Amino acid sequence: MRVLLSFLLLLLASSAIRSSSSPVTDDPFLGISPLDEKYYKSSSEIKCKDGSKRFTRAQLNDDFCDCADGTDEPGTSACPNGKFYCRNAGHSPLVLFSSRVNDGICDCCDGSDEYDGIVTCSNTCWEAGKAARENLKKKIDTYNQGVVIRRKEIEQAKVGLEKDEAELKKLKSEEKILKGLVQQLKERKEQIEKIGEKDRLEKEKEEKERKEAELAAQPGNGTSEEKTDDNGKVEGSTAGEEMPGVSQDDEILDENEHHDETGRYKDLDTDEEPAAEAEPTSVLEEGTHTNPANQHVVETKEESPSSEDLITAGSQHDGSTKKEESDEVKKEEDIVSEKKEELSKEELGRLVASRWTGEKSDTPSEADEDSKADDHENHDHTPTSPQEVEEDDGFVSDGDEETGDDGKYSDHEPEDDTYEEEYRHDSTSSYKSDGEDDLDLSETTSSPTWLEKIQKTVKNILQAVNLFQTTPVDKSEADRVRKEYDESSSKLKKIQSRVSSLEKKLKQDFGPEKEFYSFHGRCFESKQGKYTYKVCAYKEATQEEGYSKTQLGGWEKFENSYQFMTYTNGDKCWNGPDRSLKIKLRCGLKNELMDVDEPSRCEYAAVLSTPARCLEDKLKELQEKLEKLMNQDQPQKHDEL
Amino acid sequence: MRSLLFTLSLLCFASQTSLSWKKEEFRTCDQTPFCKRARSRAPGTCSLIATDVTISDGDLVAKLTPKDNDDHINPLILSLSVYRNGIVRLRIDEDHSLNPPKKRFRVPDVLVSELEAKKIRLEKFATENDPPSSVVHVGDGYEAVVRHEPFEVYVRERSGRRVLSLNSHGLFDFEQMRKKGEGDNWEEKFRTHTDSRPFGSQSISFGVSFYESSFVYGIPEHATSFALKPTKGPGVEESAEPYRLFNLDVFEYDHESPFGLYGSIPFMVSHGKSGKSSGFFWLNAAEMQIDVLAEGWDAESSSRIDTLWMSEAGIVDTFFFVGPEPKDVVRQYASVTGTSAMPQLFATGYHQCRWNYKDEEDVAQVDSKFDEYDIPYDVLWLDIEHTDGKRYFTWDSALFPNPEEMQKKLDVKGRRMVTIVDPHIKRDDSYFLHKEATEMGYYVKDSSGKDFDGWCWPGSSSYIDMLSPEIREWWGGRFSYKNYVGSTPSLYIWNDMNEPSVFNGPEVTMPRDALHVGGVEHREVHNAYGYYFHMATSDGLVMRGEGKDRPFVLSRAIFPGTQRYGAIWTGDNTAEWEHLRVSIPMLLTLGLTGITFSGADIGGFFGNPEPELLVRWYQVGAYYPFFRGHAHHDTKRREPWLFGERNTELMRDAIHTRYTLLPYFYTLFREANVTGVPVLRPLWMEFPQDEATFSNDEAFMVGNGLLVQGVYTKGTTHASVYLPGEESWYDLRNGKTYVGGKTYKMDAPEESIPAFQRAGTIIPRKDRFRRSSFQMDNDPYTLVIALNSSQEADGELYIDDGKSFEFKRGAYIHRRFVFSNGVLTSTNIAPPEASLSSQCLIDRIILLGHSSGPNSALVEPLNQKAEIEMGPLRMGGLVASSGTKVLTIRKPGVRVDQDWTIKIL
Repeated sequence: MRVLLSFLLLLLASSAIRSSSSPVTDDPFLGISPLDEKYYKSSSEIKCKDGSKRFTRAQLNDDFCDCADGTDEPGTSACPNGKFYCRNAGHSPLVLFSSRVNDGICDCCDGSDEYDGIVTCSNTCWEAGKAARENLKKKIDTYNQGVVIRRKEIEQAKVGLEKDEAELKKLKSEEKILKGLVQQLKERKEQIEKIGEKDRLEKEKEEKERKEAELAAQPGNGTSEEKTDDNGKVEGSTAGEEMPGVSQDDEILDENEHHDETGRYKDLDTDEEPAAEAEPTSVLEEGTHTNPANQHVVETKEESPSSEDLITAGSQHDGSTKKEESDEVKKEEDIVSEKKEELSKEELGRLVASRWTGEKSDTPSEADEDSKADDHENHDHTPTSPQEVEEDDGFVSDGDEETGDDGKYSDHEPEDDTYEEEYRHDSTSSYKSDGEDDLDLSETTSSPTWLEKIQKTVKNILQAVNLFQTTPVDKSEADRVRKEYDESSSKLKKIQSRVSSLEKKLKQDFGPEKEFYSFHGRCFESKQGKYTYKVCAYKEATQEEGYSKTQLGGWEKFENSYQFMTYTNGDKCWNGPDRSLKIKLRCGLKNELMDVDEPSRCEYAAVLSTPARCLEDKLKELQEKLEKLMNQDQPQKHDEL
Repeated sequence: MRSLLFTLSLLCFASQTSLSWKKEEFRTCDQTPFCKRARSRAPGTCSLIATDVTISDGDLVAKLTPKDNDDHINPLILSLSVYRNGIVRLRIDEDHSLNPPKKRFRVPDVLVSELEAKKIRLEKFATENDPPSSVVHVGDGYEAVVRHEPFEVYVRERSGRRVLSLNSHGLFDFEQMRKKGEGDNWEEKFRTHTDSRPFGSQSISFGVSFYESSFVYGIPEHATSFALKPTKGPGVEESAEPYRLFNLDVFEYDHESPFGLYGSIPFMVSHGKSGKSSGFFWLNAAEMQIDVLAEGWDAESSSRIDTLWMSEAGIVDTFFFVGPEPKDVVRQYASVTGTSAMPQLFATGYHQCRWNYKDEEDVAQVDSKFDEYDIPYDVLWLDIEHTDGKRYFTWDSALFPNPEEMQKKLDVKGRRMVTIVDPHIKRDDSYFLHKEATEMGYYVKDSSGKDFDGWCWPGSSSYIDMLSPEIREWWGGRFSYKNYVGSTPSLYIWNDMNEPSVFNGPEVTMPRDALHVGGVEHREVHNAYGYYFHMATSDGLVMRGEGKDRPFVLSRAIFPGTQRYGAIWTGDNTAEWEHLRVSIPMLLTLGLTGITFSGADIGGFFGNPEPELLVRWYQVGAYYPFFRGHAHHDTKRREPWLFGERNTELMRDAIHTRYTLLPYFYTLFREANVTGVPVLRPLWMEFPQDEATFSNDEAFMVGNGLLVQGVYTKGTTHASVYLPGEESWYDLRNGKTYVGGKTYKMDAPEESIPAFQRAGTIIPRKDRFRRSSFQMDNDPYTLVIALNSSQEADGELYIDDGKSFEFKRGAYIHRRFVFSNGVLTSTNIAPPEASLSSQCLIDRIILLGHSSGPNSALVEPLNQKAEIEMGPLRMGGLVASSGTKVLTIRKPGVRVDQDWTIKIL
């Protein structure tokens, strides 16, 4: 996918042609790259490069296309597939489509593409070149500094990773020991409980016998409260997998109709409850992949504060808090059953309009505000066309070949991967992501002796309790065992959770040099209009407006050699795809999110500047480019050679 | 419960299914009393007899009275007029001298003013006795006959062969206006809407018979086959609906249904084995339903096609067109309703649209991508979101802070912009347009006389009453640069939603009892509302340009005469193969009925086309007269460069194909402008005798010289192509020759659809690639000469300034190229006073089918030799690069505006 508007080619001093500020009209070699002149000068009969035929010197640039590939007409518009080379002395050479030659629009800064006299193009190469060089210098500056920061980050990442690994190792061994202790305590506890139970049963038995003796025989009945409970849970958790057939699902459907803007499972992805996390996620996945109706269940759950509630949410919404929605469901039903009587004229109008707009029919003109809010603050500093960029910095198509198909609107972005401080208008910030890795293990981890202490305590307890093995259990000792068991197992849980979060972290892709290590647990924010965009690396991206939060996607991966970060499977769009976000990464001195946009419905795009993308190779490349541009500054010199 | 859930989930995922057409929201014939009644009438129930036949004011006039007029029903007045070139007009109305309760509506401003001058004033009529009839001459060997009892009006050849007849089966019915009596309840209810019908029933119905016909065509706008399938009679399902003509905004329409879409043209054309065509047109703007009756419906077997025409209101004002050639019929129709306006050259290029290009940055970005990928385009479009809250003539100041600058940036590349302006006006007291329209009383009124208040994009809206010429003139003035702030001379207009679409109205349109100026009920004018709106906008642009700039206005609603005001498109289609397929019969039908400047949204408005479908759509769409890509805002971006390098290349090539053919298209647009013969033609229009073409609506002719076969199925690399006639055809992709009159299995690889040049034609091209049509102005021409079996060919080229009305004053070039006896001659066919010069050269002449291999040619009067060599058939094309070589006259150096000859040596 590289139909390039132009190629950046350098001039070789030995073959430089005479520079001229006025358009060349009678140059037989017009439009030919200096590198190519030899090909044309070699003989009187020239071959079409595709080998299709030969043409004479007189047929070169005679404004009649002989070669299908355009070989014979480098300097005219005669061949549709031709390319025109303009030298642009003082700036960078440019290769144009032949369709630009003598079309009345000045494309080359030296004006050489317009020579039929219909328009006069002034030579702007010097100014443009100067501006481009300055831009390039600035860019190099940024890279220079960025590269240093990046190196630091890589070192820090190394340290951080080592630390993480060490911690993990340590935690794992602690986990092992603690597991043993907890097991011992558990056994002890159960022993004590057994004894206690035995005592209790005996006492009960005695009591029973006593009561039986006292009273005449009476029938008892068995109940199973617990079972009922279980049933409730089962029903709740399977609601998401089966076609709902009970009335409360009406509201659930309704939710989808009217509340598609709200986030879905934003609170689920915390590291504190890895076990609890797994289940709702799987429910969610089934919801998105199997049947649309299932999603509604998931969406409803989003409102539930905890993951436990979440599992039973399906059965817990009894409509008491959702009266409004259920009224609206009625409306929908009526429409479906062709009874529009209950719709006001306005409601009917909105409803019909919503077919085209896909909007909620009860909020009419959100759509324009929606688009209005997107990104227009950036207009003044965004290049409006590649040409302009070209004029500005002269390196349109120089390098990011690996960019491939992933521009903001399309596959080929004008290269602009530095981010100058002074361009900054967005209010952006980055910070530690909430709840990430903040599990408080300080109590357990800060002192190296905590484990020993526990071990000791446990030993004491076990010994102490042992003494009473045969006698009835001392209540305070039993309490002590229980308490110690509770504390230890809670600590164990914490450690296990930390282990799992560390393991998860270490599995992440931090880049070839771990330059993205510092992204872990960080969020980047950008305020645009009424929306705040929040991008949390390795986690999720959201769009917030007031209290409403829309998930733009969960972390997917880096793409195209770490030039992009992608988030996918965000909140479903009414009538559209699941939301997703693609972030272009470019070199900058700080991590900053900007230019959030929605080029296609519910497919978001943004730019993140980061030192992690200030690559040394790229810096070298830029420096070489600058060097060449500087050398080319004095074309006259070469002419004299 | 399950079914409810299922339905709701269908609602939720509406755009993902083609089944979401809300059929039940629209009336069936059974739910439409006048239609149900008319459809159930038995033949022979009409007892009207024609009496008191006289000549009055150049017309044949008679009274129509029931045979036994026991109820003392007022007679109807019949009048028959004859116009030059085979046109008979029949009018039937109530007798105004008897003071009916209300004057019935006659549609104004549709018939062209020149028509009157073509009227042949009748002075006498002949009488025949068996059966008693009155006969007048029509000219060219035709006669119009009024049979008295039972009454029938028909046209026949003087030999006696019948051509067209009205009331051959006694199905005529005319409900006269009555005074409302006590206790009369004339209300009609549909769903939640009540039509007060203050004037009661006033419908009209009658049968029309087309003799010696195999098929009938026309009466758009429906998504159906080109040859109209029967809707009633033997072999047709009981539940089948008639073709409905009622302008409606139909959400996600079906690709195969007689259901009425956005426009209505009550004009039908027949064609038969004899190679002859005839046409029938009913000028009436009320709801119409038309049945095509299956052969044998009246137990008679014949080569006739009978049709039943039913309308809710209005009068009988009908035209019989005698043909006999298909092109004669369209010329005759055009002489009544007008030929299509000459478009500006830019409008014949490629248009890029989307709901919505969001802001100025987006516009700049899309524009620059076209340049980056060397894809030409001429116009960038802005849909409703560019406005400030759907207030037309305004801009969203955050998204489009500098609209003039934005337009100028496009204009320097010769590119134009189009913004949308709809007829619904936001009811907002702070909106200048609403304020003014309210104060001036320019809105359509509801049945109680208050400004009608309906719901559309802006929410609560009122609708400008376009029936009034005064209001139209005021509306036109809104487009002046002063009134339309932010507009520039390179801005043109798109009229959408002009059926009119009213989201909360009955069948998503305006209530039939709403009132227009002069007390005209909406039911009477409905189908023409959008036409008047289109007219007002188009005239407004002419005013804006002080009569010097041809307007460009795209409309969705259509009516007879629409062709005079601009282009139309087939509305909200869907990204499905079947919608690509049906676009051809739809456009053929529109062209046949006058609206030649038409197109379907490339790619399909709703949904996301797979790349293969999109590419195929561009390949077919490159031949649509109106060539625009458009998409719904829920769809993924689909500009041509977004689907990988190969697909970009394929779409670029399709668009380039169009641009190389622009001189040919422009010449064809001129032909349509002069004669009414459409740009896109059914094969039988060029080959009237070739029966195999009569129901072919997958292939089409572009002008008389190109035959194109679309590819309408996924994963296909072949297409079955029928090449009509006796002469040969040249494959435009490789120059290969095929004998006519046969069906071939042709290659249709991903880079091309089959396209052929007809032997005996000369097609002008411009082969250089440019950014837009604007830069092609000075480029040289290529002539492609396809020789027939007698080594002859001819063709035309029309050139003007591409934008102004100066061509009307003779500022144009019109050349005729004839190749005969080894000599190519260019002669002037413009009238002597025509004057335009051009420096453009013809620098390449391609000879297809030349019997020998000459190597030079003599150019006169320059007396120069030009080389003849083997050159590529098409420059830069994907297929041409495979290396097809054809005889090419190299650089003859002749000017396009001069007489010359080139002799092959």
